[in-house]
Amino acid sequence: MIYNIDYKELYNNFPSGYFCSLPDGTIIDSNNRFLDLTNYTREEVIGKKKFTDFLSQGGKIYFENVFSPTLKLKGIIEEINFNFIKKEGVKFPVLINSVEVKDKDGIHLFTQSAIFNISQRKKYEHELLIAKRKANDLSNELIDINKELLSSAELILKQKSQLEEFNQHLENKNRQLSSFAHIASHNLRAPVSNLMALKDFYKESTDLEDKGMLFSKVEIVISHLNETLSELIESVKIQGNKGIKHDPIIFDSIFHKTLEILDNQILDSKAVVTSNFSESPNIEYPKLYMESIMLNLLSNSIRYSSPDRIAKIHFSTEINNNNEVMFVAKDNGLGIDLQKHGHKLFGLNNTFHRHPDSKGVGLFMTKTQIEAIGGSITVESDVDKGTTFKIVLNKNIS
Amino acid sequence: MLQRIIARNNITIHGTGSKSMFLVHGYGCDQNMWRFITPQFKDDYKIILIDLVGSGKSDENSYDYGKYNSLEGYADDVIEICDALKLDHVCFVGHSVSAMIGLLAAIKRPTLFKKLIMIGPSPRYINCENYFGGFSQNDIDDLMETLDSNYLGWSSAMASVIMDNPDRPELAAELEESFCQNNPKIARHFARVTFLGDNRSDLKKLTTDTLIIQSKTDAIASIKVGQFVHDNISNSKLEVLETTGHCPHLSAPSQTIEAMKKYLI
Repeated sequence: MIYNIDYKELYNNFPSGYFCSLPDGTIIDSNNRFLDLTNYTREEVIGKKKFTDFLSQGGKIYFENVFSPTLKLKGIIEEINFNFIKKEGVKFPVLINSVEVKDKDGIHLFTQSAIFNISQRKKYEHELLIAKRKANDLSNELIDINKELLSSAELILKQKSQLEEFNQHLENKNRQLSSFAHIASHNLRAPVSNLMALKDFYKESTDLEDKGMLFSKVEIVISHLNETLSELIESVKIQGNKGIKHDPIIFDSIFHKTLEILDNQILDSKAVVTSNFSESPNIEYPKLYMESIMLNLLSNSIRYSSPDRIAKIHFSTEINNNNEVMFVAKDNGLGIDLQKHGHKLFGLNNTFHRHPDSKGVGLFMTKTQIEAIGGSITVESDVDKGTTFKIVLNKNIS
Repeated sequence: MLQRIIARNNITIHGTGSKSMFLVHGYGCDQNMWRFITPQFKDDYKIILIDLVGSGKSDENSYDYGKYNSLEGYADDVIEICDALKLDHVCFVGHSVSAMIGLLAAIKRPTLFKKLIMIGPSPRYINCENYFGGFSQNDIDDLMETLDSNYLGWSSAMASVIMDNPDRPELAAELEESFCQNNPKIARHFARVTFLGDNRSDLKKLTTDTLIIQSKTDAIASIKVGQFVHDNISNSKLEVLETTGHCPHLSAPSQTIEAMKKYLI
């Protein structure tokens, strides 16, 4: 089938506006669609209007500075958005494509341009832009809120860690205070009861030489008592200010002091007390605590020694696998049924033996003191065979 | 230093002559716009072409919004380039806004240019009392809208979506290839600096020999504006070309060349 296409008809009713202009912009032809879009008559446009007459002032600046140079240099320009002005002054958005038509010598004869009305699309684009702007605002708001949340979360975290630190501090303080109270009551008890016993011996004794010997022992115990008291007073001062003061300690010398304080009990019980601190002869530790620990453990071992055999008590130091200094106290006494009593071994006022001297504070206090310095205490025991306390004095932080 | 400046301004050097001709494009374009002019001068001149920072293939990262908030920033670049290339007795050719950039450079360094050729100059675009620049503030806002809507035929807000889309590098590459198009944000800023500036008072300070080339019909810088520039520069000549449009070096290159040659003899 053969169609007869009327090109004149096609040109005029082409679905986009079309015009042809001279190099100076004067429009020399246009199709009817272009006239319909701009509401001008043919007579008003042809030979009278220039391309730029349809543009706003801002559009003209763009035309002269960008559109026109680009067309000159490339010979073609596409998809440029201008607002065209209708006869009645109303603007409508168009996309324009232009091409330069040249003769065989390259001389610019005229320019052909096609314009597409994009009013609907522009409205849609405008809506999109509004939506995008809103989305941007919302996103910025969210970013701001997020920032606020993050910073308040940070603050809460900081406060939390401060609280934890503070709590830790309070716990330590608390531990120090309770252990101090116990030292105060406990450490004074052993030498005082020692004194009481010596006093009784002294009264009963008639031999002058014995009396002299006893009195010299009383003097030693009194001087230890005095020392303990002044240390307690000193430690109150220190604890009031800051953490617990660490002193350079020689295990041997504290051990001997402990032996002297408990001299009477040792003699009475006939216990054999030995020591070996060669693995770690000294340490930085609160002197008062170390004295208290040794005193407690030694008096415990003497108190709970077996009536069936000679008590053997051995104190030593070791370096464990974590490179931590351990203090070990081993005896062959009554032992404790750890299955039965293990969970409350270090509790306050727990006694496991119907022993006249049991007051049930010693181990609780020892554990409290050790932990206040950041150490730990463990126990191994077999009933009627003996007990070993292992104390990690300073936890290795690394 | 020299390499940095060459990259910053995409400096290209052509020609075999001993004299120097330094040509700078105007708003919205780049050094390509001298294509029809330079072949006529390449035998007699060493021709220096640049892209203003923010235009063409200049280094966009060098666009300092503070420095280029006035035309002085560009004038400093011009002086720096002349020094770096050790140019003297330069014939400076500036189109449109670059006529003002050349003016400012010549005032700062009066011995820098031997001749100054201004094509379509305008010291002020906005009308005010006793002065006709041709435009109002509203017209510049209208231009901004046109700029926004012509970044790839889309509004710049849409273009920024494309530019910020690292998954589609071909789109960004296309934008870079697109002729005379700049970063939309820079294009807006440069348009404001160009069209809202006022250099009228600087004209009288110029002592360099100056030629003003003016299209008979120019919607951007009218013949009235050209006359004003001529009246205010003491050593100036005004040459009006029988052509239409703001870029006579594109629309009427042979007339432009003729006017330049006549002046430079």
